[in-house]
Amino acid sequence: MANVDRREFLRLVGAGGVGAGAGFMLAESIKHPVEYLIPYPVPPEEFSPGIATWYNSVCGMCPAGCGISVRTREGRAKKIEGNPLHPVNQGRLCALGQAGLQVLYNPDRLTGPMIQNGERGDDAFVKATWEDGLSRTAERLAAARRDGIYVLSQGVRGHLANLFELFMGELGSDRLLHYDFAHPHPLYAANKRFFGEHQLPYYDIRNTRYLLSFGADYLTNWLSPVHHSLGFGHSRQGNDSSSNDGVRGRFVQIEPRMSISGAAADEWIPARPGTEGFLALGIAHHIVADGRYAGDDASLWRTALAGWSSGRVAGLTGVSEGTISRLAREFARAEPGLAIGGGAAGNHTNGVDTLVAVNALNYLVGNIGKAGGVVFNPDPVTGGSAIDRQANYRTMQNLIENARDGNIDVLIVNNTNPAFTLPRASGFREALAAIPTIVSLSSFMDETTLMADVLLPSHTYLEAWGDDMPQPGVGFPVGAISQPVVAPLYNSRSTGDIILGLVGKLGFNEAIPWTSMEDFLKDGWREIYERGSREPGDFDSFWRDVLVSGVWGENARRGGSVVIAPGVIEGMAVSAPRFSGESGEYPFILHAYLSTAMYDGRGANLPWMQELPDPMTSIVYGTWVEMNPATANEMGLADGDLVRVTSEKGSIEAPVVLFPAIMPDVVAMPIGQGHDALGRYARNRGANPIEILAPETESASGNLATSATRVALVATGRRAAPVKTGGESRQLGRGIVQSTGSRSAPAGHSAKLNSIPIIVESAVVESA
Amino acid sequence: MSILDRFVSGWREFRKDGYYEEFDYAWTMTIDLDRCTGCGACVTACQAENNIPIVGESAIDKGREMQWIRIERYWEGEYPNAKLNFIPMLCQQCDAAPCETVCPVTATYHNQDGLNAQVYNRCIGTRSCAVYCPYTVRYFNFTDHHWDAPLEQQLNPDVTVREKGVMEKCTFCVQRIRQAKDHAKDDGRRRVRDGEVQPACVQSCPSEAMIFGDRKDASSRVSKSMNDERAYRVLGELNTRPSVIYLKKVDADAD
Repeated sequence: MANVDRREFLRLVGAGGVGAGAGFMLAESIKHPVEYLIPYPVPPEEFSPGIATWYNSVCGMCPAGCGISVRTREGRAKKIEGNPLHPVNQGRLCALGQAGLQVLYNPDRLTGPMIQNGERGDDAFVKATWEDGLSRTAERLAAARRDGIYVLSQGVRGHLANLFELFMGELGSDRLLHYDFAHPHPLYAANKRFFGEHQLPYYDIRNTRYLLSFGADYLTNWLSPVHHSLGFGHSRQGNDSSSNDGVRGRFVQIEPRMSISGAAADEWIPARPGTEGFLALGIAHHIVADGRYAGDDASLWRTALAGWSSGRVAGLTGVSEGTISRLAREFARAEPGLAIGGGAAGNHTNGVDTLVAVNALNYLVGNIGKAGGVVFNPDPVTGGSAIDRQANYRTMQNLIENARDGNIDVLIVNNTNPAFTLPRASGFREALAAIPTIVSLSSFMDETTLMADVLLPSHTYLEAWGDDMPQPGVGFPVGAISQPVVAPLYNSRSTGDIILGLVGKLGFNEAIPWTSMEDFLKDGWREIYERGSREPGDFDSFWRDVLVSGVWGENARRGGSVVIAPGVIEGMAVSAPRFSGESGEYPFILHAYLSTAMYDGRGANLPWMQELPDPMTSIVYGTWVEMNPATANEMGLADGDLVRVTSEKGSIEAPVVLFPAIMPDVVAMPIGQGHDALGRYARNRGANPIEILAPETESASGNLATSATRVALVATGRRAAPVKTGGESRQLGRGIVQSTGSRSAPAGHSAKLNSIPIIVESAVVESA
Repeated sequence: MSILDRFVSGWREFRKDGYYEEFDYAWTMTIDLDRCTGCGACVTACQAENNIPIVGESAIDKGREMQWIRIERYWEGEYPNAKLNFIPMLCQQCDAAPCETVCPVTATYHNQDGLNAQVYNRCIGTRSCAVYCPYTVRYFNFTDHHWDAPLEQQLNPDVTVREKGVMEKCTFCVQRIRQAKDHAKDDGRRRVRDGEVQPACVQSCPSEAMIFGDRKDASSRVSKSMNDERAYRVLGELNTRPSVIYLKKVDADAD
């Protein structure tokens, strides 16, 4: 599994103990009803004052499913680090993951159940008891039409997903939706169309020698960024002569606006937005035409790709013929090369076509099922079908229409915020008004929760029991248990326990006999244990081991030959992208991207994330519009000029930032700010580009085509220079960042370090 | 002996070549710019570990940000050939630190591990050290900082919370070094093992761009890494002898 065994892990965490199942034991010791002058007159059992205790759990900040180790002192969480044993992140963690502590200790958390006591949206809530909140909800559910009950949750996996299924089964409604703004619907659809695969495969960036990324910002937000970063680092400099022949991986990024992954790449290639699929087919054409593909179906491919000559593709994409043929040559020669696609390229109206064409590249260079290529994942050990519950834009529109038509009686929302992450044009906010009862389980007063009638606030992920089976997996089944690392701060409950509370009120106990999420989870894991995972000892020691190490895995990889779906080669084509708005009136394509710090907006209430400078611009606390300097110059716009960005569906204001690596007819805006709720750090700051997106959908997957909106920019005549931490953005000959042409110098060459040698004395380390 | 004589003799004594090599450890960090992606995980890791305050938008606008480690970015070329280079910048823990010579109250000094240490309760806030630092990695507390309750529950009890009028900067996570030494002592070892101490930034780095260790141990990972032919020191011509060593980014398409 990971490269650290359990003993090693215990040693690594050194000082403190590694704990299992803290939270509830701690509850009493911390939340004494009276305060003592001398702390801990009765010493709690789980920790020694002054010594850190670490708990392993699962990160809940994005869907990647990294393992975390949380350092606690005296019952309080102090630091989140990656769990070194977890194969997804191997001890590492991104900025957003580490900011999870500010979710836990956020001053704007909902502290207990509340009932709306005024007009919706007024924030006129009054405190209630759990008994009251649950009874009200249960009453409404019992009185509702069966298909008038909707449950809309953030994407959940593992046993919580199973519990939702059981609950809906008892309610007799099939209207369970998971909704994540950034869920890669087109990628799932493309893998289904091309490979007939239900799950996403594992993309082995670590062992690849040549990565062609079509719009996937794999280092920041695509699928599993920490895992990809580990792979990137290894591919760059981790190869010595014993692995991968010491070849330094080459990375090519194709996207209209340079992302973090684009900056990290050796080559950044802007192709016209929406034509990434044409480029993939052009490269595929070249590979086949050059005779570099020798499979049995070579003639099929030749016919299918005949129309995609470099000349035609160059005209469509704006990428030169020479570049296309060079990319094809380099990619085919790399062995293994890997092509990935996503982000803006997948979010055009032709996104699935594009990603299928990217899959074709992988197939043609024969990297399927091989190290450094595309490796298929086995189904997650449990809860795998939850992925089918993911709601795309069409499903959400369906919900909105049903709400408008009065077909929804009760909507339960669990920690997802469509009022922020759906375009205004969707009519979601207005549709909410037509739903008689809305219950929110959110931990925060977000835009959607503001419209609710009953608030049953759930624990944060650091206080709750749960588990997670990361998707996409890492090529073999992995599971991790999420355990409470501190006692609950407030009168909230875990999502699972809230559902089980409703189960009790509705009398579903026969079918769902559990009384706590912990029991439900434990019983679920007993099944995993009994299925024969060949762990020594009884279940209790297995359970404790999983809690202590924070992760469980099975050595079960997928074998077998690669089969692609019939007819897929013959049907290989990419349709032309559609855009909302005429190019005359709306000259720019809006490229709205997930920001490093705030993801889809969920990080905006975390002060650390507000003060984390955007890596590309060093801007904090705001929203801005990135423009090509030449275009801005033509329009008479300067850095910091406030402009009105107008689409067919609305307009927002933001300051211009001159960005050297963006196409002249594209403007880019980060997603994340522009909240009108979500607490003091998020509210009334910046603008939300999702608001003005046109409701264009990706034709095959039904996903919102977030890259398909054209906008116009109008100067307001005002200035509002964004706050930056960075100074001069050019080196001016100072040689601060230096680069070298070659990877290795002749043997025996010693480090000069600007002519002052560092004296390295011989070791004085004693063997321990 | 006059003050000047004492100063000069002290200077000679403490600035002789190899002086710091006689100390216990020589903590060193290497940062591989070919691996660094600029993601900012190190920045947040540092803020969480070292109780770095949130200063707010208006303070940052005045140039009063607090980030012991930051990601500097430098553009090169113009569209469509623009490139962006990142470099994490933190206190370089210089062996010949310009900041140390200028402090009137010796609030910043060199300790036996080769660390450029800062004594908060000795600092009187002249900010001279910040002026002398060529890397501008020293941060001054212009105001007292406040954590909205219950955010203060996250504060690391191993690290002091600084007050108004005090200069602060990266310590190489001295609290972690201290702890590792204590463990070594408890285990009856004379020295800390290679890899036993990792500052928060190094620990978090998703692309494993940073290595931390003792350069006196020739077999340590950091010693090997700093002898890479790509190694260089930022503003090395100033002869400040940083303990942070960068490995050059590889430009595969350069001649």
